[in-house]
Amino acid sequence: MELTDADLVARVLTDDDQHAFGELVRRHQSSVRGLLRQLTRTDVALADDLAQEAFLRAYKNIRSFRGEARFSTWLYRIAYNCFREDARRRKELVGVDEEQWQGQLDPQTVDPGLRHDLMHALGLLPLHERTAIVLCCQNGLSHDEAARVLDIPLGTVKTNVLRGREKLKRTLAAWAPN
Amino acid sequence: MIDDETLDRQLREAVPYINDDGFTARVIARLPAARPEPQWLRAMIVLGLALLGTGIAYFLSGGGSLVRQGMVQMADFPIWLLLVFAFGCGLVVGAFAIIFAIRKTPEVRDLTRLDF
Repeated sequence: MELTDADLVARVLTDDDQHAFGELVRRHQSSVRGLLRQLTRTDVALADDLAQEAFLRAYKNIRSFRGEARFSTWLYRIAYNCFREDARRRKELVGVDEEQWQGQLDPQTVDPGLRHDLMHALGLLPLHERTAIVLCCQNGLSHDEAARVLDIPLGTVKTNVLRGREKLKRTLAAWAPN
Repeated sequence: MIDDETLDRQLREAVPYINDDGFTARVIARLPAARPEPQWLRAMIVLGLALLGTGIAYFLSGGGSLVRQGMVQMADFPIWLLLVFAFGCGLVVGAFAIIFAIRKTPEVRDLTRLDF
């Protein structure tokens, strides 16, 4: 019988069970590292460092997890905060502006294959749209959950997802073979 | 133009599963040491409260006269009644001990799915 995330969190809380926390890390490491790789534009080393930091923070602050949201949603929020703090430190918290976006739409410069192109296009989106797309479309969070993770209004999340989707669709249409 | 459903599917499928490759072990290695259980402190608090309660009960009962009277009255009870009383007390204490043991043992707690 596989324990749920809530069971494992309860073990960490009551018994300070580091094995239980290890199981939580094993379960969620892929999605958290994947999210951070998208946010850091596939800087794998930085993304993994931030993911480690996020899990350590989660362990230290696990008493603040009240079970109102899914554990993964809570983790994403911590991971996103880690990324933002790091980006602020590096003064890189800026998205690609529209001109830069349009300038990089040259089909000759991208790798072949829809999937590859999609990931490339995703990396070109402004940070706020990319984050919303990654959370909602790739990781399956609802708009409401994403709003909680990003600490922004629900309407903003919906707008960002909509705009991001439109840009991706435009990009993929341009790259599609006729 | 590609539709939303196809785009979402492509986005989901474009995310590969990232193998652990020692990531979890590195996180666990960086966790702060488990909090030492302050067993001695807990024991001292329980002992202190028990002594305090005993002292208060002693003075409230008129220097133990109530206890003495109780003992005298119990001495008049038939032996079978005392045995039943002792057996009942044992059952109650045993039940509390079992509940406490289950609460303190995660494996048993998960097995029984008891929610105390």
